[in-house]
Amino acid sequence: MLSIRYSRCTVPVRNYIAELQNIVGDDGIITAANQLQTYECDGLTNFRVLPEAVVLPRTTQQVQDVVRVCARHKIPFVSRGAGTGLSGGALPAAGGIVISLARMNRILKVDIPNHLVVVEPGVINAHITQRVAAQGYFYAPDPSSQSVCTIGGNIAENAGGAHCLKYGFTVTHTLALEVVLPNGDLISLGSHAPDAPGYDLAGVFVGSEGTLGIATKIALRIVKRPEECQTLLAAFASPRLAGQTVSDIIAAGMLPAALEIMDTLAIEAAEAAVHAHYPMCGGLLLVELDGPAGEVDALMCEVRAFCAKNGASEIRVAQSESERALVWKGRKAAFAAMGRISPNYIVQDGVIPRTSLPDVLDEIERMATAVGLRVANVFHAGDGNLHPLVLYDRSIPGQEETALDLSYRILHLCVDRGGSITGEHGVGKEKQQALGYMFAEPDLDTMQRVRCAFDCDGLANPDKVFPRPRLCAEKPGPYVPHPLETAGIAEFF
Amino acid sequence: MTTAAVTLEQGLAQLASIAGAEHTRIFGETIRVAPADAGQIARILTFANENSLAVTPTVSNTKLSWGNPVAPDILINLERMNAVREHSWQDMTCTVEAGCTWDKLQSTLAQHRQMIALDPLWPERSTVGGIVATNDSGSLRLKYGSLRDLVLGVTVVLADGTIAKSGGKVVKNVAGYDLHKLMTGSFGTLGIITEINFRLHPCEETTRTWTVSAPAPAQLKEPLRTLLDSQLALSSVQIRATGDACWLDVRIVSRPESGPKNVSRLEKIFGNLPLSESGPAVWTARQQIFDTPVATVLKISSLPTEICALIAEQQQWAGAHGAEIAIAAQAPGLMSVALAPAPGVVPDLIGALRMRLRENGGSVVALQFPDSLRGRFDVWGCDSNALPLMREIKRRFDPNRILNPGRFVGDI
Repeated sequence: MLSIRYSRCTVPVRNYIAELQNIVGDDGIITAANQLQTYECDGLTNFRVLPEAVVLPRTTQQVQDVVRVCARHKIPFVSRGAGTGLSGGALPAAGGIVISLARMNRILKVDIPNHLVVVEPGVINAHITQRVAAQGYFYAPDPSSQSVCTIGGNIAENAGGAHCLKYGFTVTHTLALEVVLPNGDLISLGSHAPDAPGYDLAGVFVGSEGTLGIATKIALRIVKRPEECQTLLAAFASPRLAGQTVSDIIAAGMLPAALEIMDTLAIEAAEAAVHAHYPMCGGLLLVELDGPAGEVDALMCEVRAFCAKNGASEIRVAQSESERALVWKGRKAAFAAMGRISPNYIVQDGVIPRTSLPDVLDEIERMATAVGLRVANVFHAGDGNLHPLVLYDRSIPGQEETALDLSYRILHLCVDRGGSITGEHGVGKEKQQALGYMFAEPDLDTMQRVRCAFDCDGLANPDKVFPRPRLCAEKPGPYVPHPLETAGIAEFF
Repeated sequence: MTTAAVTLEQGLAQLASIAGAEHTRIFGETIRVAPADAGQIARILTFANENSLAVTPTVSNTKLSWGNPVAPDILINLERMNAVREHSWQDMTCTVEAGCTWDKLQSTLAQHRQMIALDPLWPERSTVGGIVATNDSGSLRLKYGSLRDLVLGVTVVLADGTIAKSGGKVVKNVAGYDLHKLMTGSFGTLGIITEINFRLHPCEETTRTWTVSAPAPAQLKEPLRTLLDSQLALSSVQIRATGDACWLDVRIVSRPESGPKNVSRLEKIFGNLPLSESGPAVWTARQQIFDTPVATVLKISSLPTEICALIAEQQQWAGAHGAEIAIAAQAPGLMSVALAPAPGVVPDLIGALRMRLRENGGSVVALQFPDSLRGRFDVWGCDSNALPLMREIKRRFDPNRILNPGRFVGDI
């Protein structure tokens, strides 16, 4: 890695702590080491950095004032919601502060006729649906952590979830943002009405992993809940057969609300954790269909026929809302459940073209066996998003390194098959080097131009996402042909 | 040529050496060049950038008049880059070159009963790159969203000749910044899009359209709200209006056996207003507005609940000023309005509408109008406090301002 550094704070910490304290008050700042430990990592716990301080602003004005202090003294800052991210996006920067948005948690506006809500970044994802459920609406993106994760974090990561196959991602539902730029300026991106004239900077900001500024007010689209929703479980001898059923469903022109597959290890772990009454099998398929009453019944008949054709040993439709909730509880608890069958595990988040699923699974199995590790698999099968869970034991010398290496090689495999290194968890700290495997230098340089326009000092969540630090003063070089262009290969991905 | 550094003849020779003499021509003060691939575009832009020559990309010129006028030194025609590169129908994605017409692409995809869920203007002539660069969308937007939700990745050539890619070919992907979202709707001011990856949807095979007519838009306000609040599988909803009449069209996707149930639901929603089944032709209303001869055509954006009142106000205004008016409003809050003949008071109308819509984030963009009105109003009406940031992005991408200079918001 090149040793280019971002501009860094040269002022002693104690000098700016008082400034921050003046802005957020005594109860809005944390500096005691034992309290700071809560913030030293996010859901990716194998990277830890203790921040110099954590500030907890209550208003947009306070966020602006805090960021201005950071800009003046060149203090790197990392914004944070609930800290549930799985790629180290909220990992503090060494010598920097954490800005927690947890106290900005008000739902500011609910406008049912226009299908929109306006919230602060610290609002918990599931609370939006709770707020509009009585009128028959819901907020569609549903990451597994939705009962605790915040909208600000969802915006940073462009969070997905099991239902984004049909309903789209966080960006699909983001109408407008109020953003504090890394120089402290407050700007509005997007609008409540469609197609605001100008560049779609709201679209670019969503998923930028906290590197372009801090969203302090967010307008989101809500969706009318469909009349009927049915969830089917089907047990297959292997994930390959479950995958074939998914292909058949898609080829028939259906767009289910969710299509999930779990393999034996994942089923075992989920059963042990939440007793979801899953049938034990080689590949469990979960299909959720929603839509107008009557339509769903007819489509579910077709799905059953595909399951039977591919040799499903058991086909079961959840008979009540509570049974349906239990099915989903098992699926959403699958990551955490790994603790039941392995002392340690790494969650990965690769994406492949759906049709290469069987081959990629075989390859992952082969790679895992070769290094003597087990990999459990949970997938959002409809959109090819794999969550391989590499199981290992940290107490065995060298096994953690082997597991990490395997997890990165799985990501490379996804890129080689035309996919991506991350479908919903983000690049963060964890996959910086893998981003360099997926994109060539000209691609990364172009992204860096955007970064520099927003944050020319590189203070917002520095040293994340990109494989090497870049300075905004670096002049984009003379034209260098794309390596694949030189090789005469049209397709990179 | 607007620069003394290069004569027209020198420019022609240079571009001919890149794209071939048979693909390079002089028209007036402009060199028109039709490159074969992104590599040639990179070399053309490198030359233009070094000599500060203004460049406009186009194919069939359908939307060349949108935005502020540009007098390009070089017109890059992407007509030769028109291949559908890949249709991975089982993965429901495709890759297409920017110069491919929309109809050619859709008919290729239809072989596997798939489509890009977007109905832009002039599909037989418009090309994919121009549709993305102008962020065009039609009636399908209600159900499927805009290009922001359909474009998975792009290849783009920047002003300095850098060829960059973003996104990918898979539907779910959060790796790196989404430069394709920045390029969508950027009117060719940041780079030239050469190739695009789309997500696909199954074709809508069993749709039916119903229409109700109403004497005044106010009578459609409540039914429209109820319709959008219903659990019907709506594909598109639009309101059409002339000076003294209006209609609401609704397209529903459903299995044939659900037809009678849908009709009874619609009858309940529309009460006494006369409901009848209509053909697909009603969905060409938006394009007819853009095809109105010598008309001023506005793109008005508002909240969905403001649509009916806005239509009524414009009908009233047209009546008071003796103008012919035609409106096609899509339910998400996008309205196309044609005013003909364009009277001199159009600038006042635009100003008044902008004032009224500002509070709720609405906007008015004047897309087509007679030359006599040029300069009488700001085409874009963008008063965003993000303009300085947009200008900074432009500076980082195109510091010499060679790509469609001045065409976009805030003279970007």
